[in-house]
Amino acid sequence: MKRIWTRWLPAAAVPAVVAVAALAGGAAAVSPPPPSTPEQVLALMASHASRPQFSGTIEERANLGLPSIPSQALGPATKSSTLGAEAAFLELLTTAHTARVFVNGPMLVRVQVMDQLAERDFIRAGSDWWTFDSKTNAVTHATIPTHGIGSDGNNPAEPGTAPKAPVVTPDQLAQRFLAAADASTNVTLGPSVTVAGHAAYELVLTPKASGTLVGSVQIAVEAQTGMPLGVDVYAKGQKDPAYHEAFTQLDLKAPDASIFMFTPPPGATVTQVPDPAKEGTQKAPSSTAPSNTAPKAPSNTAPKAPSNTAPSNTAPPSTAPKAPSNTAPSNTAPPSTAPKAPSNTAQGPTIIGKGWDAVVVIPAGDVPVGVLDTPLVKQLATPVAGGRVLSSSLLNIFLTDDGRVIAGAVPVATLIATAK
Amino acid sequence: MSLSETTAVTRQPLGVRLFASELSVLFRRWRTWAMLAALGAVPMLIGLAVKFSPKGPPSGRGPAFLDQITHNGLFVGVVALVVSTPLFLPLTVGVVAGDTIAGEAGLGTLRYLLAAPTGRIRLLVVKYVSSVVFCAAAALAVVLGGTITGAVLFPLGQATLLSGDTIGPAESFGRLLLMAGYVTVSLLGLSAIGLFASSMTTVPVGAMAATVVLAVVSQVLDNLDQLDWLHPWLFTDKWLALADLLRQPISWTSFGDNALLQLGYIALFGALAYGRFTTKDVLS
Repeated sequence: MKRIWTRWLPAAAVPAVVAVAALAGGAAAVSPPPPSTPEQVLALMASHASRPQFSGTIEERANLGLPSIPSQALGPATKSSTLGAEAAFLELLTTAHTARVFVNGPMLVRVQVMDQLAERDFIRAGSDWWTFDSKTNAVTHATIPTHGIGSDGNNPAEPGTAPKAPVVTPDQLAQRFLAAADASTNVTLGPSVTVAGHAAYELVLTPKASGTLVGSVQIAVEAQTGMPLGVDVYAKGQKDPAYHEAFTQLDLKAPDASIFMFTPPPGATVTQVPDPAKEGTQKAPSSTAPSNTAPKAPSNTAPKAPSNTAPSNTAPPSTAPKAPSNTAPSNTAPPSTAPKAPSNTAQGPTIIGKGWDAVVVIPAGDVPVGVLDTPLVKQLATPVAGGRVLSSSLLNIFLTDDGRVIAGAVPVATLIATAK
Repeated sequence: MSLSETTAVTRQPLGVRLFASELSVLFRRWRTWAMLAALGAVPMLIGLAVKFSPKGPPSGRGPAFLDQITHNGLFVGVVALVVSTPLFLPLTVGVVAGDTIAGEAGLGTLRYLLAAPTGRIRLLVVKYVSSVVFCAAAALAVVLGGTITGAVLFPLGQATLLSGDTIGPAESFGRLLLMAGYVTVSLLGLSAIGLFASSMTTVPVGAMAATVVLAVVSQVLDNLDQLDWLHPWLFTDKWLALADLLRQPISWTSFGDNALLQLGYIALFGALAYGRFTTKDVLS
């Protein structure tokens, strides 16, 4: 048999075909019908407000310019009672997550965060709220009366101890951003996109204020139903989104009812959260914090937090800005002290400014002792005049020497100026 | 092989006959059975260790699902699959796939194989398919070892899935078989790489070592966060996503992604092996 170069052709053709397929897969966009002023898209989105039925997969990743911290390195810290919340927060910010979400109206919700060889679950079936962590085999259960539920399905009066979903859907996230899109924001329409096989309009929110680190926020809105499918937050001077969250798979049919049924598996440690009616007198649900802090911690980083602390919705809506300030004080409290929700305290954090460049200040009294000396903070913070700074492309946190925590989606200099 | 079987075989087309003889050669080797037995022993070791350890396995430590074993014995097989996936399984598959062409060349039997009117392409395909059969056999050996160990040592009760839902023994066994299928699919790309490596040399050990080393290197690269752009292209990337079959409802995305990825590797290294093997001078 002769040496013939044509016999090597298939070997050359395969990579070419793969490359073409990979490129074509990304470019296959279906353009939605053109209504399309930003106002129309906003109206479409508002019409969707009654939450529909769907099941889908959400992908979330942050690229904040923080050093990449592999989850293996954080593994032990996530389980420790003092560092749990912080480590979980860092893990959320530095590693990507995939979650499946099943929703059938506001009463039936299941969220599954799919970690490698592990899973964290949040299930809401009517008044029963459950969380399950497969690594620790721990279950939290709360019974919360179903009255007084907001239009977004979240109970506004929901106690801080209630189990919370470990992730937020693009829907919830988009609502937060839009609630904040007041006069300080330019709302325009970008080129339409395809998200999870659905044609979508892209709303672009651009802060008018120059003092913020947020470059723009892009929200993909499903063309037919008005359901937000994805949110990208761009930091100034960064090409890739600093925070990306979108559906990779979406089915608008009602999920199977059996998905929302949950009974604690045999052998699991079940922590019963006390009745919220008696809230205020209760202590921490358990002193073995890992089971609680693990599933709960990421949710505090969610944009839900601002509504607890902020007097109004005009607070900066970014997921990032407030989160750490909430996470750190409320969850890393030593197990012996009952964690108090920031909203219950007389003093509480204050918001300086309005809109995108607002800054939140937590007085020294609200920052639990020892939090600022934890090794994780020590390693990540850089010293500046008057304190230390945890810096990222979207968010800066200033830990002053006198114990205050000042955070916002603003440059470090602004934080330092605020501190004075 | 009995006389009637032999006559039945001779009536079948050339490729099938070659495949049958290839399989009988593979499964008559002591080496093949030793490797399968070693794989079957992995769950046995795990089961015995859990059974006779003074205190039960701590929750959340050790290999994933270890604490599930005492509830449902079938999870011995699950743990064994997870434990074997990074090294033991690639090792045995590397040995078989690396031996395909180079083994014949090393023994000096390759030219006799080609002297029969088989054709090089057909020989290549037959060799690959028989190594795929070994992949399935290897995964099943782990599952069978796990099932037997679990049934003997532990109760076959309710098993907890990753999502916190519980399933009975019958469904657990179904899931276990699905996982064996997943692992088999996972190893297809590696088999193709082994086939190509094997067509490069006449020293089978070299091809085996190259294949196994590649599997390890790929997993190391998969653990470097700095190379995250590369991760979706590594053939080991979806190996541990086999746990997606233990969620409720089953997440088929990773199964599909993995199959597509392995298909890409089969196409690429199959084509490379074709290019190499059809242009090579067979001297031995």
